[in-house]
Order: sequence, then structure tokens, then C-alpha cells
Amino acid sequence: MTTVTPTTADVLSEDPRRRPPLVTGEATLGRVTDDVCAIVERPRPPRAWYAAFALSVSLTGLFFGMLGYLIATGVGVWGNNSPVGWGWPIVNFVFWVGIGHAGTLISAILFLTRQGWRTSINRFAEAMTIFAVACAGIFPAVHVGRVWLAYWLLPVPNQMQMWPNFKSPLLWDVFAVGTYATVSLLFWYMGLIPDLATLRDRAKGTLRRVAYGFFALGWTGSARQWHRYEKAYLLLAGLATPLVLSVHSVVSFDFAVSQVPGWHTTIFPPYFVAGAVFSGFAMVVTLMVPARRFFGLGDLVTLRHLETMNKVILAMSLMVGFAYGTELFIAWYGGNPYERFAFLNRALGPFAWAYWVMVVCNVLVPQLFWSRRIRTSPAAMVAVCVLVNVGMWFERFVITVTSLSRDFLPSSWQHFRPTAVDVLTFLGSFGLFFTLFLLFCRFLPMVAMAEVKAGLPGAQPRHVDGGEAAHG
Amino acid sequence: MRTEAIRFAPERTIAGDLGRPARAAAMAAAAGAVGVLLTAFLAEDGLRRAQFAWLIAALFVLTLGLGALFFVLLQHLVRSGWSVAVRRVAEKVALTIPAAGLLLVPVVLPTLLGHGGLFPWAAADAAHESELIAHKRPWLNGPFFALRIALYIGAWSWLARWFAARSREQDLSGDPQATLAMQRRSAPAMVLYGVTVAFASFDLVMSLTPEWFSTIFGVYVFAGSVLGFLGLCVPLVLLLERRGRLRDVVTVEHYHDLGRLLFAFVFFWGYIAFSQYLLIWYANVPEETVWFQPRQRGGWAPVSLTLVFGHFLLPFAGLLSRRVKRRRGLLAAWGAALVALHYVDLLWLVGPAFRAAGPAFGLPEVAALAGAGGVFAHALLRASEHSPLVPIRDPRLGESLALRQT
Amino acid sequence: MASARGTKLGLVGAFASADELVAATRSVRAAGFRRFDAFSPYPVHGIDEAMGTRPTVLPWLVLGAGVAGLAGALALQLWTNGVDYPFVTSGKPAWGLPAYVPVAFEVVILAGAVTAFVGMLALNGLPRWANPVLGAKAVQAASSTGFAVAIEAADPAFDEARARAVLAGAGASGVEAFHAPPRAPFPRPLVYGAWIALALALVPPALIVAKRAGVSRLPRVHLVRDMDRQPKRGAQAESPFFDDGRAARLPVAGTVAVGELRADAGFETGRADGDWLSRPPLEIDRALLDRGRERYAIHCAVCHGADGRGRGPVAIRAEALREPAWVPPSDLQSEHARGLADGELYDVVRNGVRNMAGYGDQLAARDRWAVVAYLRALQRSQNATSEDLPPGVTPFSR
Repeated sequence: MTTVTPTTADVLSEDPRRRPPLVTGEATLGRVTDDVCAIVERPRPPRAWYAAFALSVSLTGLFFGMLGYLIATGVGVWGNNSPVGWGWPIVNFVFWVGIGHAGTLISAILFLTRQGWRTSINRFAEAMTIFAVACAGIFPAVHVGRVWLAYWLLPVPNQMQMWPNFKSPLLWDVFAVGTYATVSLLFWYMGLIPDLATLRDRAKGTLRRVAYGFFALGWTGSARQWHRYEKAYLLLAGLATPLVLSVHSVVSFDFAVSQVPGWHTTIFPPYFVAGAVFSGFAMVVTLMVPARRFFGLGDLVTLRHLETMNKVILAMSLMVGFAYGTELFIAWYGGNPYERFAFLNRALGPFAWAYWVMVVCNVLVPQLFWSRRIRTSPAAMVAVCVLVNVGMWFERFVITVTSLSRDFLPSSWQHFRPTAVDVLTFLGSFGLFFTLFLLFCRFLPMVAMAEVKAGLPGAQPRHVDGGEAAHG
Repeated sequence: MRTEAIRFAPERTIAGDLGRPARAAAMAAAAGAVGVLLTAFLAEDGLRRAQFAWLIAALFVLTLGLGALFFVLLQHLVRSGWSVAVRRVAEKVALTIPAAGLLLVPVVLPTLLGHGGLFPWAAADAAHESELIAHKRPWLNGPFFALRIALYIGAWSWLARWFAARSREQDLSGDPQATLAMQRRSAPAMVLYGVTVAFASFDLVMSLTPEWFSTIFGVYVFAGSVLGFLGLCVPLVLLLERRGRLRDVVTVEHYHDLGRLLFAFVFFWGYIAFSQYLLIWYANVPEETVWFQPRQRGGWAPVSLTLVFGHFLLPFAGLLSRRVKRRRGLLAAWGAALVALHYVDLLWLVGPAFRAAGPAFGLPEVAALAGAGGVFAHALLRASEHSPLVPIRDPRLGESLALRQT
Repeated sequence: MASARGTKLGLVGAFASADELVAATRSVRAAGFRRFDAFSPYPVHGIDEAMGTRPTVLPWLVLGAGVAGLAGALALQLWTNGVDYPFVTSGKPAWGLPAYVPVAFEVVILAGAVTAFVGMLALNGLPRWANPVLGAKAVQAASSTGFAVAIEAADPAFDEARARAVLAGAGASGVEAFHAPPRAPFPRPLVYGAWIALALALVPPALIVAKRAGVSRLPRVHLVRDMDRQPKRGAQAESPFFDDGRAARLPVAGTVAVGELRADAGFETGRADGDWLSRPPLEIDRALLDRGRERYAIHCAVCHGADGRGRGPVAIRAEALREPAWVPPSDLQSEHARGLADGELYDVVRNGVRNMAGYGDQLAARDRWAVVAYLRALQRSQNATSEDLPPGVTPFSR
């Protein structure tokens, strides 16, 4: 083990002759273990945690209260109307699924491309993914109206002798989101197993030892176990990579296989995926900045990690902006008057304010990240990332509502107005997300210790290691 | 770093005098051009056929260069270490873009002069016949079209030369600042690249069927181009390694990584192609299905199936295994096959505008391919002459030489 | 001490770094041991070669699961939507393959991922909550910062002194033994609790069996009432809102619903200016006759018989039962029947005659005329003479 202690200046170094270190401070196995486990092992979390938890639990209560009211009363309590049959629930669904795209992308794609820096943030982002997908899944489930019949979506032989319609993109969604939730959970849990074993072996009390021991499944960290574990991790990464692409593509199919102007355009699949990664990364940065501050993870999650995330956000912003531009150009170029109207209506119609919020937040604001000073300033990046998520919510709102409220037949046009139940349900879903998230921060290791350790300088035997560079 | 442990001799990587193969390439180009000219005068519907054959061949070599340019920009953008040993090959291939741009002169010039054989909208009376074409007049007109093509080619040539020149300067100076400069430029360069490639594919390919439109089209052409370049890159690197230029520089690990990229882009191309097809097939809007109709019928149906299997399913299955990616010869064979299929892809994109009943592939097309390929090879050889085929003083070369898959 | 802990199962040596760990496994292997393992807080690269670990079969399992998932998902979709219950969605063929790709893809990923996870656990023998090797301090430390090598006593080459020497020789900072856990009796309350839980778990299935086997006179519990009760009026319901007290409304006087206008009296009634029509007022072609034959077979032949002679299955049955009130159906091949005008026959079909009920409600006007036309053809076929033959055809003679 080497005893170098890199500083923030070291990790932000751009010198191409040597790879910057991944973590700052004293980089030893013991230090990583202590830093991460201390958060879970301390008797009391910081006071801010209690405040946040109280707030999010009450919002969760509000969420389930609203859902209960909805189920007991009927979907009429929403603002959905005759042409706008999708409304807020579907906007919220797409929003949350999009947020859930960062985790698996970081753990799968960045793993396959050997991005060593992912190890500090992947656990955190994967957890966020799962909670976001959980929030997302609730919305289409209640949107079916009679939730007790939601099992009709599955191919279960029934007394009606009917099968679900596999040609419907809404059914593809069931499979895509279901698979995504399952695979993300497996990925996350598999990564947790060695770290749970660490917590088990460090545990002082019986309850902790039994609880962590139960979920660690008897992991010993033997070389033969690691051998199969690494292979399984690689396979999961290989499977999850196309899965990440597919999930938001399938969500985009919900819109794009139709003929509704503004929905039916072939760039939707990659454009939705870029938007999902965009909002997911923005959410990770938004949560990571306070989390690393309150839990003292600044050495493991360095400014360089955040800077790299911000670069990805900038790249995704450009892709999303490019897709907006292409859509506008083809709407004119294609010569279809309905299509042209749909886009004019977005930019100048009754929901123009939403469209311009979307453009400003998604395309203009992230351009600030061209500046390194803003990319590496925690306060500024949180501000930009919050705006990005506002913009991405409005993107889904603009797509869903403007196109539906004014489609081919002017006689059936109808303005859309959300009800208080719509707004409170959406607010409440943040409560569920943050409740799960805060519980995760309190009881589970927030950083993938085993993965960080494997990438520390000097962690690997010299005779196979190409030096620090191999982990750049 | 274990750079010292690797037997690496910079002087061995310098290409020698390539005059002879370059002359051969020039002769092939001349012979091809003559063949195409003969077609234009002798064959039935000869002028149009020659034009289409030429357009396909020119796009073929142009997109290979564009794929290479993307590769170069991407490696700088992500500060890649592994790829340094093979980056110079991509830089050289990207340097063929100006020559490929010249190949487009016989495409652009008649269009500018109002000849509608290739692009129906170019004919003077096209706007009277079709309301849609009249609507698109502000965009689809000879002068603006020619200006745009010139801008695209100019932008790409400038990018390719700028990055290649900085990299060559670093060979002499060893200045790490050059790497930083390239990294900084790569991000805006990528933006410029993305926009120009998308609009170039709208202009050069999509507007062959002026009524038709698809927003994903640029991404489709881009995916095919990068795949085509990666397919070309593997046999090129293998050839150079066998010739001794990259010996002790590239290892099986680099092939493995190239194979992984190749596999990734096979999947990406399949994903984009399927997305485009599914959305148009499902929505069934006549002004969109018009493009797929001829491609699903008659002589084009087998070509479409060839793409589905040869461009996607078979290479997907074939490149899945780690062992295939670590066998140089086999991987190079897959790469070469994907280059050939990239040509088929362009034939499939462009060809139905010439003849909807079925593909025209014969001597004129082979001649055009020989012509464009000869120009491409000549430009590539001239660019490589007397220059190191590895960025010998790149600060991350050591990292690349020590590459090991974990 | 050892007796309280159970039998000794092996030795564990603690090491300080990954380098030492790899070297130690190499020397343990060289010393002829086979049942040994190395423990580390993270995967150490190059240790598989040192230990001689063979590549795992996991990739093949995942590949198999993926192929099975693909075949299964495609078969499920093609069979359910293409064969068993063919769906036509926006004009797509029942076997519209592109639409089945997304679900097939997702199932491949799901099957592969679950297999990768479950396969990894199964091949590693997990979950195994009680593992004696975890009792060794060095192995516990190896989940945080330490490195350890364990040699099992079950190894045929195991000899404690020699194993200790090999571990120490490889640079172990300490060597300890690990033991089988002491055999303690299972806690009594847990046993009782388990029995009680098992007994309670049997109650719901027993209730279900009892309900399914028995008979109940109570109406079914209708938990979710869905749309059973709706704020609307049924067909014959009352409504205080309207003057006449009826919920169902009649058409406004003098209006005709779209498609309900019947302006051609002859076509509708078979009678024009007081006289029966002698010919059907529509063009008679093959399609009309086929339609007439089909309608005749459905509505008329049960009484009148397929040949029209009044010997249909209902008539035969009624006679066999000697039904006192039975009036035999008319013979449609009789002189009388053949002499009726087409319009009169049409009227019989529509309104009935004597005991026969009218079929106007079952047969639309066009279908009634089709039946008439078919009946005429049927009469002619049963009463043909040699004059009816086309010229040039001679009648068959006995």
C-alpha cells in the first residue's frame, strides 16, 4: 500500500502525462472501509437527516393518501379530460423513469468502458434508480383506473379466454419497466453483497450482525467466489447496457407509434434515451452534492467525479437540443400541415410558457457547464441540475399535453388544467423517493467499498498491474 | 508505467515510400472513372446509372472517413488511453475526407445546373409538379445545396487536418499541451460534427426521395459510418502489424477493444435501424411508408434481408464471444465483411431512387467503386507516407502499450 | 477450548497485501494442497491463474437462458396473439413480427440477468448463512482490510504441521485454526413458534377447500362493484323527468332515423296499388339465391323441410308425438303454393299465415325476397319436366 495523500488540486489536474487519482486523502483499505461504514455504524444520523426524513415521510403519507382517494373515487379526480387522456400521471411516469436511467448506465456502460471513477458513485446512483423506478411504476398502474384489474396486463390464462395485446406499446412498457426494475435491483443487490459482508463482520451488536448477515447470504470474499462474482457482474453489465437503451426507447414508442402530430417522429427513441440520461445524471448530482457534504464523503466522491458527471450532462443537453432542432426542421421540411401546426402550437400556443421553460432549462442553462469554474462549483452545479430536472419534467409535459390537447380535429380541442390531486400526488411521489433514499443512506453503504478498494493505487498485485494508469 | 518493459522502437513505426501502391491506386481510380464515363455514354439509361453508381461509391468512401473522424474526436473527448496505439490509423483515414469531397463534384455540379437525374427536386419543373417540392424550395435548391455540401466538406476537412496536424506536431515536440489543446477542441468539434453529419445525410441521401422524411435518418447514417470505419480499422491495423509497422505496439488487447466497439456499433446500428422501421411500419402513414415500400418488394427484398442478417444479426451473434474478439484474423474477417455490408447499406439507401424494381449492381457499380476506392486509397497512402503510424510521443502512449483487459 | 468448538476443519493464515496473497496461494498450491481458498476484500487480479481456478460455466448458462427466453417469448406472443386469439391492431398481420420484438428482447435480458445472478449464487454455494470459515478472525478481517488463505482439513494432503509451515513460510503474519460450530440444541421457543405458524398456515387452504366442496345459498361476495351501479335508467324504467313517465324516449313524430327510411312500399310489403307483385322487385342473381338458400335453411326448413314438402324435422317429431294442437305445415310444392304470386309469398314470410308466425323481425326485406326467389327455384327443381332441359340434352330414360 502506498501512502500518498492526493488533494483536490491533484484530482482536478488535467496533466495528460499521468492519470489523476480517483480519491483524495489517504487512500488505504482501512480508510475507505471506515469512511463508508462509519455512516451506517454511527448511533445517530446528522440532524439534517431527521429533518429531511420527517418531511419526506409526511409527503409519502400525502402520496398514499392521494392514491387512496383516487382509487376510492375514480380517475375523475385528475385533470385528465377527453383529448388529454394521459395528463399528469403519464408525464410523471416518464419523468421518474427517466430519472431512473443514471444508475444502470453508470454501473453498466461505464463499467464496460472501464471508467474507474464510476466506483465512487455507482452504488448511490443505482439506489436512486431503483427508487425512481418504484415511483414511476405507480403512476401507470393507477392510471389504468381499476387498479385491481391491473393483472390483465400479464399473460395469465383467464375466464375471458383473452390474452393481452402484445402489439400494444403499453404492454411493451410493462415488460420493459418490469425488466428494468428487476435487473436494476439484482445489479444493485449483487454489488451490495460483499459490502454487507463487511458490515456483518464489523458489527458490534447481534441484531446488526444477524440483519446484515442475513442479506450478505454468507459471502466470504473467497477468490473462487470473487471469480464467479466478477463474471456475473460483467454479464449483468453486458445485459444491462442494451436494456438501458431499450427502456426509454420503449417508453418513446408509447408516443411515437401513434399518428398524433408531435408524437410520431422517428428520432424519439434515441432522443428519449438521451433525455433520460440527462435527467438521471442531473438528479444524481443534485443529491450527491449534499450527501457527500453531510456524510463526509468528499474524499471518495471528489470534485472531479462531479465535474465528469457535469460533462455528461452537458453532452446530453446538446443531444437533446439537437433533437429539438431536428424535430422543428423536419416539421417544416416534411410539409405536413398538422405536424407544422403541432410545433407552432408548442412554441406559440396556450402552453408556450411550458415549451420555453423546457428550452431554457434543458438547452440554454446547461451551456454554463462549458465553464470549468461552474462545472466544479457545488452550489452552481446543483442550481443547474435542479433546473435541468424542472426542464425535463416540462419536456414530458409539453410532449404529452400540447399534442393531445390540440390534435387533428379542432372541434375536440380542449385545454388541460391539472387539479389539486394531480399536483399533490406528484409532490407526494418525491416524498416516497426521498424516504427510500434517506433510509438507504442511513442503513446501507453509500459507496461500493469493494469496488473502490479494487481500484486504489497499489491494490492489485504488481506483476499483473500496468500501474495506476490501468484504472484511468 | 511499464513503458520501458515493452520493446517499442519509434523509428520502426514510420511508413516508408508508398509511391508504388499510391500509383496503383491512382491507376485504379482512373480506370474506374473511365468505366463510369463509358457507362454514362453507352449503357441504357446510362447517365443516371453512372450518376447513382458514382454517388453510392463516393458516399461509401466519404462515410468511412467520417467514421474515422468521429473515432478521433471521441478518443480526445473522453481522454482515452487505450486507443492511442491505433488512433493514428483513424487520423490518416480521416485525412481522406477532402479527396472524398472532390468525388462529390460530379454529384453536386449537375444538381447545381438544374439536372434532376439524381435529385428529382433539382429539375426546374419539379416544383410545378409537386406541391411538396415547391414547399421545400427554400431548402432544396441548387445553389443552397451546393453551398451546404461545400460547407460540410470544408468543416470535416478542417477538423480532420487540424487534429492530424496537432498530433503530428506532438510527434516532434512531445508537448503534452498539444494533447490538452486537442481535448479542448474535441467538444465543440463534436457538436459541429454531429450537426453537419445529420444535415449532410438529409441532403445527400434523404432528399433523393424528396417527399420522404425521417428525423432519425442522420443518426442512422452516422451509425453505419462509424461501423464501416471500425470494420475497416481492424484489417488495416492487422495489415500494419503484419508489415511490422505496429509490431510490439498493438497487442491482442487492442483488437479486443476494437472488437468490443465493433460489437457495440453493430448493436447500435441495429437499434437505430429497427427503431426507424418499427415506427414507420406501425404508424403506417403513406408519406412515410413510401420509402420502405420499394425496399420490401421485388429485387430489394433480398437486399433488405441481407442487411437484417448480415449487418446486424449474424455479426451480433458472431462477435458476442470474447474469444472471437481476441483472434486477430477472425476479427479482421468480420471487419471486412462489415465494410462490404456498409456498401450494401448505402446501395440500399440510395439505389431504390434509381430503380425501384430491384438493385442495379454490375460493371458500372464496380467501376465506380474502383474509382472512388482508388481515390480513397491514394489519399490514404499519400497521407501516411514517411510518417509514424503511431503518435509516438503522445503522453498516454505508455498507457496504451500496457493495455490489459481485466 | 477446541472440544467446546467442535472438530478442527482447517487452518487460516493472515497476509498483509494482495501481492503476498497471490504468492501464498501459489506456494500452497505448489505444496500439493487442492482444497484451499484465498480471501480478500476485493477481487484480486491474477489470483485465478495462481490458484488454478478454471473458468466458470456461468456465461454458458446465461447464453442458454437468453436463447430460451427468446424462443419462449416469441412462441408466447405468436401463439396468444397470432393463433389462439388473433388480434388485429391497426391493420397489422396477426404474425406482425416487428411488434413482437420489444417484448422478446426484454424477456431475453430478464432471463439472462436472473440466470447470471442466481447462477452466481448457486455456483458459489450461496446462501450459506453458517459457514465455519467465517469464524476465523483473519477471514472476518478479509472483508474489510485483510487478506487470508485457508487450507481445509478435508484436503487429502492435509497435515496440520506441514500446512502451518507452508502458510508461515509464505509470510503469514499469523496462523489460526477454524472449527465446526458446537452442536447446540435448537432454541425451544423457535421450534414451538414454527409449529404454530405451520398450523395457522394450513387454515386458509382448509377454508378454501371447505368452500369449494360445499354448497352456499348466499350470493357471492362482490368485493369490487366496478360498474354494477350506474346513474342511468334501464330500458323499461320509469323517469319522473318526462311527462309520460318513461325513461326510454320515442322518436319525434314525423322523423326517421338514418338508414331507416322505407319509401318503396312494394319492396317492403309485396303489394303495389292493392295487387300482389308477381315478381320480386329486385335483381335476382346467384348471390341472392345463395343468400335465400341460407336463410331458408335457417328459418324455414325446420318445418317445411329442405325440399319444401312440409316434412321438416319439427313436423316429423310433432307427428311422432301425436301433438293434438299440431297443424301440419303447408306443402310448398303443391299446386296452390306454386300458384301464389311472389308478393303473396313475401307477405306470408313477413307476416305469417294461419298458425305460422311472421318472420319479419328475423328477416330483413331483402332477405325475405331472397327466400321467395329461392323458393321459386326450389319449386321448379322439384317439378321439372323434360321441356325444362336445355336444348340438345336428352332426358335420361330407364
